[in-house]
Amino acid sequence: MTTHHHRPESEIALRVKAIESLLVEKGIVDPAALDTIIEHYEHQVGPHVGAQIVAKAWVDPDFKRRLLADGTGAIAELGLTGFSSEHMIVVENTATVHNLIVCTLCSCYPWAILGLPPTWYKSLAYRSRAVIEPRSVLAEFGLVLPDTVEVRVWDSNADLRYLVLPERPDGTDGLSEEALAALVTRNAMIGTAKVQPPSAPTPIAA
Amino acid sequence: MTIETSNQCMTAAAAKALLQQGLSCQVNSDLPPQFQVGDLVQAKVVHPATYTRLPRYVRGKVGTVMQDHGVYVFPDTVGQRLATKPQHVYSVRFSAQALWGQAAPASDALYLDLFDDHLEVP
Repeated sequence: MTTHHHRPESEIALRVKAIESLLVEKGIVDPAALDTIIEHYEHQVGPHVGAQIVAKAWVDPDFKRRLLADGTGAIAELGLTGFSSEHMIVVENTATVHNLIVCTLCSCYPWAILGLPPTWYKSLAYRSRAVIEPRSVLAEFGLVLPDTVEVRVWDSNADLRYLVLPERPDGTDGLSEEALAALVTRNAMIGTAKVQPPSAPTPIAA
Repeated sequence: MTIETSNQCMTAAAAKALLQQGLSCQVNSDLPPQFQVGDLVQAKVVHPATYTRLPRYVRGKVGTVMQDHGVYVFPDTVGQRLATKPQHVYSVRFSAQALWGQAAPASDALYLDLFDDHLEVP
């Protein structure tokens, strides 16, 4: 028989539990509403939603035009709008322009399109440094941009939310929309990465 | 004028509807904009002790209006539950050098969404 060690819960987890049970006890929060919200962000929304939008823009030039002209309207066509993505702006990365999204005041993020933000997006370091030294921040993410590329930082300080439309990688001509979506990462849609081409298939008898 | 906040407990159905439909901050209004696309604008030098969406790093800096996003409620007053104070929101482009000095790359820029009340003619 192995001994099973229970690690004590972290202080923040205990605090959240205490607040939650108080709110439920006082009838301020309905546990069923909480479960609905948690289920939504654990299983329904996430970067796969944004990846679907990006892949469609890559294969459908008319959709891409509408997406860049009116992000909110084009995303609504696909039925993918939702809380904290009500007013969407989509910015396109090209060979000469690279876009990066940040929220310096808090951690505004298109929840319905990308899910909940990663921890680093909420960190003070990212929020302060992305505006003043975006190129150094990108380099730390492994993305070194030449001087010929203009870096545009979008600080989501009001009620508009931003999505980066990354460049379609080379070598993806024959891929289906679904296969293209599988290549698109969360970081590429925030602007801290590029979408990588699919890796060459490994020969069976390597 | 104050904004009342409901103390009603949110139901699971209401939570689902909110997640799916969202909560629009836009206002249907024919309120005229204070600025036009292409205008040079200056972020006001103010230091409110209360809630604001005007980041400190942009105060006093001059940028260009790139787009008029339409009319939205004003978070600076909504945040205090004072008034919705609807007004135009603009995408304003500031060059990296205007914000951070000559050492910043000349090509780079920062875009902020600013409200009429955050801006003035330089």
